[in-house]
Amino acid sequence: MIELKNIEKYYSSKGIKHYVLRHVTTTIKQGEFVSIMGPSGAGKSTLLNILGMLEEPTYGTYEFMEEDVTRLNERKRIELYRNHIGFVFQAYHLIDEMTVYENIEAPLLYKKVGGAERASRIADLLDRFNMVAKKDLFPNQLSGGQQQLVGIARALAAQPSIILADEPTGNLQSTQAEEIMQLFQKLNKEDGITIIQVTHAEKNAQYGNRILNIADGVIKDDFLVTTT
Amino acid sequence: MLKLNLKIAWRNLWKNKGYTFINVLGLSIGMASCILIFIFIRYQMSFDEGFKNEDRIYRITTNWTTADGFEESQGVPKPAPAALRNDFKKQIEKVGSIRQDGGIIKVKDDAGKERVKVLEDVFYAEPEFFQIMNFDWLQGNPIQSLSQPNTVVLSKDMATKLFGDWNKAVGKTINYQNREDFTVTGILQEIPENSSFPLGIVVSYQTFKNYNDPSFKEWGNTSSNDECYFLLKKGTSIDEVRGALPKFSEKYFQKDLISKEQISTQALSDIHYNENLGNFANKTMPVKELYGLAIIGAFLLLTACINFINLATAQAVSRSKEVGVRKVMGSLRKQLVFQFLTETLTISVFALLVACVLTEVALPGMKSLFQDNISFSIISHPIILVFMVGLVLIVSFLAGFYPAMVMSGFSPALAIKNKVKANAGGLSLRKVLVVVQFSITVILIIGTLVVLKQMNYMREKPLGFNPSAIAMVSVRNDSLSVLKYQILNDRISKIPGVLTTSFCRNPPSSENNNESIFRYNGAEKAKFQANTKLADENYFKTFGLSLVAGKGFAKSDTLREIVVNETLLKKLNVVDFNDALGKKITIWGKTGTVVGVVKDFNNLSLHEPISPIIITSIKENYKNLAVKMDSKQILSIMPQIEKIWNDTFPENFYSASFVDDDISKYYETERVMGVLFKVFAGVIIFISFIGLFGLISFVATQRTKEVAIRKVLGASTLELVKMLNGSFLLMVFIANLVAWPLAYLFVSKWLSTFTYRIDLSIWPFVLAMVISMLITLITVSFRSFKAAKANTIDALKYE
Repeated sequence: MIELKNIEKYYSSKGIKHYVLRHVTTTIKQGEFVSIMGPSGAGKSTLLNILGMLEEPTYGTYEFMEEDVTRLNERKRIELYRNHIGFVFQAYHLIDEMTVYENIEAPLLYKKVGGAERASRIADLLDRFNMVAKKDLFPNQLSGGQQQLVGIARALAAQPSIILADEPTGNLQSTQAEEIMQLFQKLNKEDGITIIQVTHAEKNAQYGNRILNIADGVIKDDFLVTTT
Repeated sequence: MLKLNLKIAWRNLWKNKGYTFINVLGLSIGMASCILIFIFIRYQMSFDEGFKNEDRIYRITTNWTTADGFEESQGVPKPAPAALRNDFKKQIEKVGSIRQDGGIIKVKDDAGKERVKVLEDVFYAEPEFFQIMNFDWLQGNPIQSLSQPNTVVLSKDMATKLFGDWNKAVGKTINYQNREDFTVTGILQEIPENSSFPLGIVVSYQTFKNYNDPSFKEWGNTSSNDECYFLLKKGTSIDEVRGALPKFSEKYFQKDLISKEQISTQALSDIHYNENLGNFANKTMPVKELYGLAIIGAFLLLTACINFINLATAQAVSRSKEVGVRKVMGSLRKQLVFQFLTETLTISVFALLVACVLTEVALPGMKSLFQDNISFSIISHPIILVFMVGLVLIVSFLAGFYPAMVMSGFSPALAIKNKVKANAGGLSLRKVLVVVQFSITVILIIGTLVVLKQMNYMREKPLGFNPSAIAMVSVRNDSLSVLKYQILNDRISKIPGVLTTSFCRNPPSSENNNESIFRYNGAEKAKFQANTKLADENYFKTFGLSLVAGKGFAKSDTLREIVVNETLLKKLNVVDFNDALGKKITIWGKTGTVVGVVKDFNNLSLHEPISPIIITSIKENYKNLAVKMDSKQILSIMPQIEKIWNDTFPENFYSASFVDDDISKYYETERVMGVLFKVFAGVIIFISFIGLFGLISFVATQRTKEVAIRKVLGASTLELVKMLNGSFLLMVFIANLVAWPLAYLFVSKWLSTFTYRIDLSIWPFVLAMVISMLITLITVSFRSFKAAKANTIDALKYE
């Protein structure tokens, strides 16, 4: 599904290149649950951003579903966002002015999903996440864990084939974090959604089935998680 | 504390250069307009001020109440001053007559050679006039200088113009109308611009009396040139005089079935403002127009202040942390309010400096628009400085108070955690203000469109005659000059390019009108008066007038044959115009035969309906030679006419004007209004839209995160721009809805002052909406596009 070849990313200031990523080459197959780990500043988030096409690599090729997307025009990229990629953020990034229901609805509106279909999908998601009673609340009326659930529901609404999550549990306490991770695992196993998450915690990484360890912009380790 | 406040204010302004720039620009343009309007109003209000006893000085005026309505004139019958003096001895201290006239003034040098020949206004005044109005006398005094016949007093500048040195003028003579010589007996201080009394040459009233004009005894003859002023006795109420005037009028005026004539009084302080009554300077400024200007000024300032409030409250959030920290440190709310007001004051002072520059730049344009000598000098008019200080204070308070209250009201706990929301309450007020601002803008746009359309309509409306390429060359009607009419006409007609010529008193449309009572077909006096036009037989051809029945009259030097217009017959209930042919009309004691009916033409400005008109010939009363030319050759023909004229009347002074120029002068007020509307609409559009730009910039910044989120959810740039623009377009749309009824009221009221007017259609309204929405769209899109294109990653970084 994803093929990275020799991805490099650097910022140059005053002629000196500051490398964030070097020679990153890897393949991620459909249905995998990959955790990207490493110390701060290792380049995890940058890698995820490149995967999410939010940033462009300086060198290298990136094929998403057999298509080179390193130099994709905006229209095509939006098309991918609408149909294949769901984002989950550490800070949730819900829209404060919109209710839970409306937040989940937003991507469907952009995807131009019809009214009835939209309603049924949202109802389905709310039901699945036990949030029916909270659908008319605003984000600031929810706890962090609940906000992140909405964030995930929103990411799922468009029925993506891949979810990119940047420290999805970074702002949560451990019980809530666990819940989210279990949800991810379930989505991965039952719905076959590919998940790539960036995380600090070894514990969270255990929910996935593959770990990429990054340090100083280079993949140091790439191994499968043995389920106990 | 203040010093620190100022320092912090400066730093904050510097930090937000963009917003500061928008604020200063908007405020300074608003302020400059206010200053311009203020100095104009100040100038207008300074007319006729500073006379001793000014609150006791009045003039008497004449009015007529007829079936058609009420009319008044600043002129009074010539016997009136003497009667007033006689009958009101108890209430009135002094009565003085003054009469305006004009003619050729010639001055010879010591060698007896003609030194100066000019056409000037000449006034005949009684010494009492100058005792009532204490003008400065440089030489001579009222009693000595103006009691004898054939004496003249000159103003300093006039004396300089005529004699080179005003000191040497007294004792010399000037010649008037090639008729008589006057001896200079006194010098007046130069009359300032802001005076209703442009006295340059004042001849003793006794001179005029000695002409023994029969109208001196006639109460039935009123000329607007004869004015009469009086000084009320100390301690007497003007109501006492006013109460006695109806009786006074009844005693002297002839009883008349058609109209009732009365004398009334007008205070000196009203002369400059009353547009129904004229004055010698021909400058009146109705107070309501001054109010109108003041309101426009207030609106401009209001829009500028709204910009300020909107931007300041929008920015408030970014200052919340500072507010929180200050509060925790022990600052009182009052101190915070004071601090924020200091910032506003700093901006206002800046804006004032820029405004002064703008005022200076705009002043020449304003002077030429109003044709008045308005000055922006703080030294000679310290009141302007007071106004500017007041302006700064008002603006600071108006614009600064609300934001200061909002910002100082933040709860410190929330503020420190950066959790204050900009939208709570603030946005709805901001929306209301934007709607108010744009309503004002849209009203002005609609007003401008309608005024321009009406102006255009007036320019293009067929008047019923053709005024183009016709010069009115003035001729004198003394018996000697009348003898030379034929020679003049023959020579001018022979100039190549001259099509036709006609001797006449006035062109078909003129501001000089004579109305007379008449009898039709031997019947009783008609119930209305007819407007009379005196002209020779070529009048119809020269002005392109068309006849609907009969023919033009034949050549005649006296009243023989008559042409009337359609309106006159309609008013007399004559249905078939052919019936009128051959009927007799008696006017001025002479009788003529109706030979033709002329198609109605507009004889007055388009504010007024067409009058009933009688056209006939009386050679002695002509004042002009109308010369119709080939329009391409006007430039070459005019000097030839002047030369022939000067050859024919070497003693006299040549003057000529074009009929279409004179007609366009009727609409001077409207022209000025049109320009004002254009300028102010432009200014207000500009102010509103830079405010809008500031606001969208802020909103875009504020919603950066949201925009980024939506982008990763799959929103396209276009969809994001639409989202950001939506609320602004909605606000402007609502503003349009608010503005339409108000604009409709205003515009239809204005149009109702015209008898001939455009029909008010929906188009100006729709156009105003399109213009306002389009500019909004462009302004807002410019910024929101940038926001939508911004880098997603930066916005989504962790907080």
